[in-house]
Amino acid sequence: MILPRRGEAVIVQGITGRYGSLHTKLMLQYGTRIAAGVTPGKGGESVEGVPVFNTVKEAVSKSRARSSILFVPAQFFYGAAEEAVLAGVKLLVAITEHIPVRDTLKMLELAKKHSATIIGPNTPGVIIPSQGVKLGIMPATSFKPGRVALFSRSGTLMYEVANELSSNGFGQSLALGVGGDPINCTTLNECIDLAQGLNETQEVVIVGEIGGDAEERLAKHILDRGFSKRVVGYIAGRHAPREKRMGHAGAIIYGDYGTAESKINALKEAGAEVAMTPMEIPLLLRKRRDRRERT
Amino acid sequence: MKLFEYQAKELLKEYGIPVPESELAHNQGEAVAAFRRMPHPVVLKSQVLAGGRGKAGGILAASNEEEVTEAFGKIMNLEIGGERPSCVLVEVSVPHETEIYLSITLDRGARAFVVISSKAGGVDVESLKGRVIQKISNKGITKGEAQSVAMKLHLSGEERERFSRIVANLERLAREKECELAEINPLAFTKRGGLTALDAKVILDDNALFRHPEFSKLHPEDEFEGEASRQGFAFVRLEGNIGVVGNGAGLVLSTLDLVADAGGNPACFLDLGGGAQRERVEAAVNLVNKLPNANRILVNIFGGITRTTDVAEGIKSVIEQGVMKPIYARISGAEEREAREILAKTPVHLHPSPSEAVEAAVRSQ
Repeated sequence: MILPRRGEAVIVQGITGRYGSLHTKLMLQYGTRIAAGVTPGKGGESVEGVPVFNTVKEAVSKSRARSSILFVPAQFFYGAAEEAVLAGVKLLVAITEHIPVRDTLKMLELAKKHSATIIGPNTPGVIIPSQGVKLGIMPATSFKPGRVALFSRSGTLMYEVANELSSNGFGQSLALGVGGDPINCTTLNECIDLAQGLNETQEVVIVGEIGGDAEERLAKHILDRGFSKRVVGYIAGRHAPREKRMGHAGAIIYGDYGTAESKINALKEAGAEVAMTPMEIPLLLRKRRDRRERT
Repeated sequence: MKLFEYQAKELLKEYGIPVPESELAHNQGEAVAAFRRMPHPVVLKSQVLAGGRGKAGGILAASNEEEVTEAFGKIMNLEIGGERPSCVLVEVSVPHETEIYLSITLDRGARAFVVISSKAGGVDVESLKGRVIQKISNKGITKGEAQSVAMKLHLSGEERERFSRIVANLERLAREKECELAEINPLAFTKRGGLTALDAKVILDDNALFRHPEFSKLHPEDEFEGEASRQGFAFVRLEGNIGVVGNGAGLVLSTLDLVADAGGNPACFLDLGGGAQRERVEAAVNLVNKLPNANRILVNIFGGITRTTDVAEGIKSVIEQGVMKPIYARISGAEEREAREILAKTPVHLHPSPSEAVEAAVRSQ
């Protein structure tokens, strides 16, 4: 996965919609270089001074962008993602919620074939505070530059945790939402592989939730491969009922599959510390940094 | 969306998978009439979505009309997992010797659909011994793959042929109807050598329903869940007394944990979604205000894209309309000072942190 750096061109698909245009403005304010937008049939218009094209191909050839953020409605999403991949886009940030799971699987297959990366779907996106790069819908004020890599399955919890971290002196090297759907095109495992290679990253914070086994797989990955940085986890949904979808399509427990308990135990076995509330995360980080500074 | 057993079995039939003869009965008369029309004995099965119907007493055998009448009454009055049936499936009892577990389901870790099958048909899939798992490509299962599942279960001859046809048909059903899960448990080998689906469970991909108008009128929904879904809220009804409202699924989920840790009991999970404006906040608070098991409301907002002043205006406006159950709120984020000022003259109990708001909501009488 190659994340865009400061000044690198990015395109917005679905730029003329309510969310697309609002977040284009907010991303520009943060410093992201939005070079072009795409909405079929709206070519020639502009949004926040950004030229709009009918096709991704035109937008890419005019802007040289390799990354796209997508606000396209769920029923048209697969087509838009396919268009982006075939036009040579290598990083797709899929903000859209409610994409049918079989469309996501098809998208993932296509992206693999063309060596493209998809973040999401149903993700708040990714933010790199030190680069002034934001490809997402997160509120910029919660995020500060620093040394914690934050990965989350939930949007608002990511903002809440980032805010807690920032106001306690723990800025972030990177914050990335893997998405609230049952299928994450970029997995938590790929996220910590990425964090391993980021020199400025000292600790990793994982915000998980009930449903599936992404956290268990992450724990196994850490045990199998080793991971040299500290990991603090938090899992939402310890008291959630079984067989009820808790807002996110992926947040559902079936039998004993997907419980918070299983995830917490797995992370602890892999050597991570697990916070019981979002507020406890900076406290655990503080303890660890203090301990290290003493020894 | 989970289908009732009778709906799932109609789908199986449509896809050429044998199911026992059955009829749906909404009253005693229908149950007896159905019994008269079919071979005996029969089983009466509660049509609820909750699992564990057999153990709970929701599946009863009957071999004469008195037994049918008695079983029907018992089942209709039996609550399973907080749910009461609106009808009973009367089904011919199928004598059989062996059972198989078979399902097509999304394997989230493998990021693919898979066939899971086991010779030990049973209640708990996870603990099934010797289960066979076969990954399926996005194009669907091939004949060879279906055959190989049958071989791994050590089926041979006619049994193997019949079973692999059912695997292929169930996979086609799951793919075409976009199911997250299509499960037959048990699939029975009858004494006459056939295969029959005795129970079935189908969960549809809610996000794909726009492509399947055939499912649009399937469910008699919970009144509140129906209202919430029309408003576009993510809503789950729970059994306690504290109505929990927030912006963002993860945030509301973590608020439920805080409530339970503080010794409280949530009445619902309501996610306003991102960027909620004043009217949506009003609608959400109104909905929880009507929820009979909620006697107080806890609002947890972390404003980012959602403007905290919009939230405050929404809450203020419902209070002015004459509602209200007590409201405990934590509102943080952009413009929070202005939001607090808006609520200062209202009876809303404002707290600076989620844990304090939760504590206050749980402790109040």
